[in-house]
Amino acid sequence: MNWLSWLSDFIGSPDRRSGPDSILNRIAEHLALSAEALFYASLLAIPLGLLIGYTGRGVTFVTATAGATRALPTLGLVTLAVLLAGVGDTAVLLPLVALAAPPLLVAAVEGVRDTDPDVRDAARGVGMTHRQVLLGVCLPSALPALLAGLRTATVQVIATATVAAYVGLGGLGRYVIDGLATRDYAVTVGGALLVVLLAVAAQLFFALLARYALPPGIRAQRRPD
Amino acid sequence: MIRFDGAGKRHPDGTIAVGSLDLDVPTGRITVLVGPSGCGKTTLLRMVNRMVEPTSGRVLLDGTDVAELDAAKLRRGIGYVIQQAGLFPHRRVIDNIATVPYLLGQDRKKARARAAELLELVGLAPETARRYPFQLSGGQQQRVGVARALAADPPVLLMDEPFSAVDPVVRAGLQDELLRLQSELNKTVLFVTHDIEEAVKLGDQVVVLHEQGRIAQLADPHTLLTAPADDGVAAFLGRDRGLRGLALRPASTVDVRPTADGLRYGSWELTLDDTGRPIGWIDRAADAALLPAAGYRPATDTLRAALDAAVLSPAGVAVALDAEGRALGTATREAVLAALSAGLPAAPAPAGRTTTGRAEDAPATDGDPDGATGGR
Repeated sequence: MNWLSWLSDFIGSPDRRSGPDSILNRIAEHLALSAEALFYASLLAIPLGLLIGYTGRGVTFVTATAGATRALPTLGLVTLAVLLAGVGDTAVLLPLVALAAPPLLVAAVEGVRDTDPDVRDAARGVGMTHRQVLLGVCLPSALPALLAGLRTATVQVIATATVAAYVGLGGLGRYVIDGLATRDYAVTVGGALLVVLLAVAAQLFFALLARYALPPGIRAQRRPD
Repeated sequence: MIRFDGAGKRHPDGTIAVGSLDLDVPTGRITVLVGPSGCGKTTLLRMVNRMVEPTSGRVLLDGTDVAELDAAKLRRGIGYVIQQAGLFPHRRVIDNIATVPYLLGQDRKKARARAAELLELVGLAPETARRYPFQLSGGQQQRVGVARALAADPPVLLMDEPFSAVDPVVRAGLQDELLRLQSELNKTVLFVTHDIEEAVKLGDQVVVLHEQGRIAQLADPHTLLTAPADDGVAAFLGRDRGLRGLALRPASTVDVRPTADGLRYGSWELTLDDTGRPIGWIDRAADAALLPAAGYRPATDTLRAALDAAVLSPAGVAVALDAEGRALGTATREAVLAALSAGLPAAPAPAGRTTTGRAEDAPATDGDPDGATGGR
């Protein structure tokens, strides 16, 4: 049996068309979980990163620790979270947020710090308050970096959200886990492939967003004089 | 009026940016702080809008210590223009200009109407309003920067090397524009530059600074050029300050021979086209090609331009032009030199100097700064 026929077996099965184990349902579950994790991570990391970037306090700490957190084993975190919080959404969300937060934090910090110092100086000089400078000048100028950070975080979260299946939750991880458990490798491979496709789609989505959704003056960047 | 009252700035590491400065910046005039980098000129300027807090002394704005005012509110009442313009990249030109009116809580429509007026005032086309800063040239960005500073009609304008980052031609245009604006608006301008040429051109009052903000000389541009306080100032002004001083005097004092009285000088003759614009000089004695006719505009140009035109001309004669470029008449080198001497203090010049003034020895004595200051 080659992987192409595995695929047709996987997609051809009536279970994939409707019901709880259908592809659409699993993708929806997967996306919902990923979105939830990204939402909490953003809520946590972006305001904190903006503040750290603006004040310049704690930048060294952030850059030093952000790299280290990437080495955290997600599966280990899930296990830890299950031990601490019991089986449930939290057990999966915790490690996913821990995964997504560092790139967002770094992006926010760097984005704000990369604001043209002349622009910041002018903003203060015309009489903006710190809050107005941060939200009205530094935040827009950090948008490309934030979007790039969000893209990295999203791809990682989508790829890693498969762990939800370990603790009995849904998502595309179900195919991988269930396939392995029942030695139905067609299902495992199909599930893995869907995760990859979803991650690639997310990449594309953010590439388009960066291209078309950013304010024109930010998108074009400054040209050298 | 802005008054520096013993204002000083010592950095936390102990280095002194400005020792202690007393200076009055008169209302409605342009005061230029000029000096080498590190003389503390930018620090001084930034004390006025509290971008820098003095560590000793005070800065008074119309009698009030700026330290007593809310920094953001104070700044909204002071125009601020910096070297790289510092425009907000994500905002259209019109909204960049309207920044301060927005901050002051003006409604969008009114603020934009005001911004559109300013766009015109600084010489930018109306369609520039919808552009983003990155779509503008350096010179246009600076104009927007000036417009933004003027938007709330502040009485005081701080300009920190605003024209240093653009090329010389654009810079000259921006300087002329500033002088034109100032003649209409009469702001109290504090202008910082390292370019003495710019200082002399723009300043009603020029403050030459040594390191740590010590005043080397405070004078009007003409006094500065003709009577530098010491060798240091003279050196900073450069060798040809006498010539540059001519740029402060109008060309209208030169005697012009009207075109109707003839265009022939020896074998040279100036030819004009049908509209009266000069085509060039022709040497009737030789069968040579037409040579370009250098001209100046008596109404707007300086003596330096007139002298330059006379020096450039093959016939030794400058062409006086009207605003449309038509020849009004001609001015010989002798006429230009006579106008130069007319403005000088009565010096015991050797007899007949004005007529033989082209002799080679004249620049050697006049252009030597040591000779000039040694006599003081």
